Amino acid sequence: MSLIHLENLTRGYGRRRGVEGVSLSVAEGELFGFLGPNGAGKTTVIRVLLGFLRPSGGAARIFGKDCWRDSKAIKQDIGYLPSNLRLSSWMNGASALSIFGSVRGRDLAGPGRDLADRFDLDLRVKVRDMSLGMRQKLGLILTLAHAPRLLVLDEPTSALDPLMQRALQDLLRERAAAGHTVFFSSHSLGEVEQLCDRVAIVREGQLVANESLAALRNRAGHDVVIRWRDGTDTQSLAVPEFLRLTRREGTVWQGTLDGPAHQLVDFLAGQAVEELSIGRPDLESLFGRFYQKSGEARP
Amino acid sequence: MNRGLVRRAFYEMWPSTLLLGLVLMGVEAALAYVLPTFSTQISADWLQMEFVRNIMQAMLGTDVSDRIGPHLFHAMAWVHPVVLALTWAHALICCTRVPAGEVDNGTADVLLGLPVSRWNVFLSETFVWLICGVAMIAVALAGNLLGGLALAPEQRPALALVVPVLINFFCLYTAVGGITWLISAFSSRRGRAMTIVFLILLVLFLLHYLAQFWSPLQNIVFLSPLHYHRPVDILNSGVWPWGDMAVLSCIGGLTWLAAGFVFARRDLCTV
Repeated sequence: MSLIHLENLTRGYGRRRGVEGVSLSVAEGELFGFLGPNGAGKTTVIRVLLGFLRPSGGAARIFGKDCWRDSKAIKQDIGYLPSNLRLSSWMNGASALSIFGSVRGRDLAGPGRDLADRFDLDLRVKVRDMSLGMRQKLGLILTLAHAPRLLVLDEPTSALDPLMQRALQDLLRERAAAGHTVFFSSHSLGEVEQLCDRVAIVREGQLVANESLAALRNRAGHDVVIRWRDGTDTQSLAVPEFLRLTRREGTVWQGTLDGPAHQLVDFLAGQAVEELSIGRPDLESLFGRFYQKSGEARP
Repeated sequence: MNRGLVRRAFYEMWPSTLLLGLVLMGVEAALAYVLPTFSTQISADWLQMEFVRNIMQAMLGTDVSDRIGPHLFHAMAWVHPVVLALTWAHALICCTRVPAGEVDNGTADVLLGLPVSRWNVFLSETFVWLICGVAMIAVALAGNLLGGLALAPEQRPALALVVPVLINFFCLYTAVGGITWLISAFSSRRGRAMTIVFLILLVLFLLHYLAQFWSPLQNIVFLSPLHYHRPVDILNSGVWPWGDMAVLSCIGGLTWLAAGFVFARRDLCTV
């Protein structure tokens, strides 16, 4: 079942660009990465999902309900962590949990304490005395404490140290394994690559990719080094289309393999190869090409 | 209304209510004591001067020449610019919290990420504002009575006369609050909303004030909410100002309702 469904979603800000014609679906239990450079339109999509902005075209649905009209009902089962989180400075962790619990009509003190232990946060400290990282942890606790069906996290690791980033990733994997859905917005490929099953990439307000990480890895280039046996006439060998050579000296070929590795292995089968080295899929450069502005080279 | 939102709003409104309330109480106590105490001297010396009489008339919104007496001085405690400034400042602080304040602070994302409708938020904030507004008016009355304790019993105004003045004063407060809600509903910057409301109130105050000196303004003085706050008439006649209260309540109610609709329908963007 599709938990989030966007169809031709368009939303502008007067002359400023927002998003245009974005369509995507996120299934229940999925860890979904939403990637894009700053200002690409990620937060605009999230604001539409949360009912802060009304779409100027298309449709946005969560749990089969309209995100603008049924916003209150939808948010019963959503945990939302905004980027650039701001909390009232007079609150401490315990009072924030008490007030948020009161708004949600449930007691969040117990689950909040468990999460605070996990994130190593003292709930007695006031927000005004917290560091940026502590505030982010409190935001995460408030987002996760009611065990929502859908988590919408907008750059949640921005202020966390690597240890806490890993703790959060473990927690999100547990939640996803329990059937919860995670919509994880980020501009960092690394964390999305570690966590998510599927990614969508938005650039200049438009969706430029929406596929599984496995499929993206297949499309990504691999660094390749081929060392031919001494005496091999490498000059007479035709270079296949999927191999872009950057160095061709004597018996050494070095370059980038576009697409899956098996096509290279097939090509080299029966040839006089001394040594073959294939690197990990280079998602960074693939995403770099996705992030390039329109008019520049595209993948 | 939502209990959690009411708690949150209360935690955030009580410090300013307490601070402004204490100052208001002190000012009311001083005015309630000082003006009647020196009424004879003021009547004999100051009110003979046309300029001073005009200023008094401008503040009270009515011709004072035939109303010089104890009620004139009691009424001054409810139209004094400092009293108006304090109560209106309270309305400005409370009624610009949502949405302008929340958007400006960046806390709107967290607040509206909760399972509450915008009307829930608006009603909860309004409820707490009205409670705090009643508290402000109550401490003003307490200050007034406290100041009156230092006067001879025959100099003190009857409580039955003060109550309608007080309720009319509260209606004026809600009218100012309603206008403030409306400006705030359109705005994403609290400072800008407060500045606009301040300028509007200043213009309305000056309109009411200057209309006493410049007759062409008499034709439009009905636009100022202060035109419907005439404590000296109430204290002199003892008649409840139902018409004035209705006008002020309508201004407050309609602007508040319009603010609610604007807030419920507008886009919210904290960036």
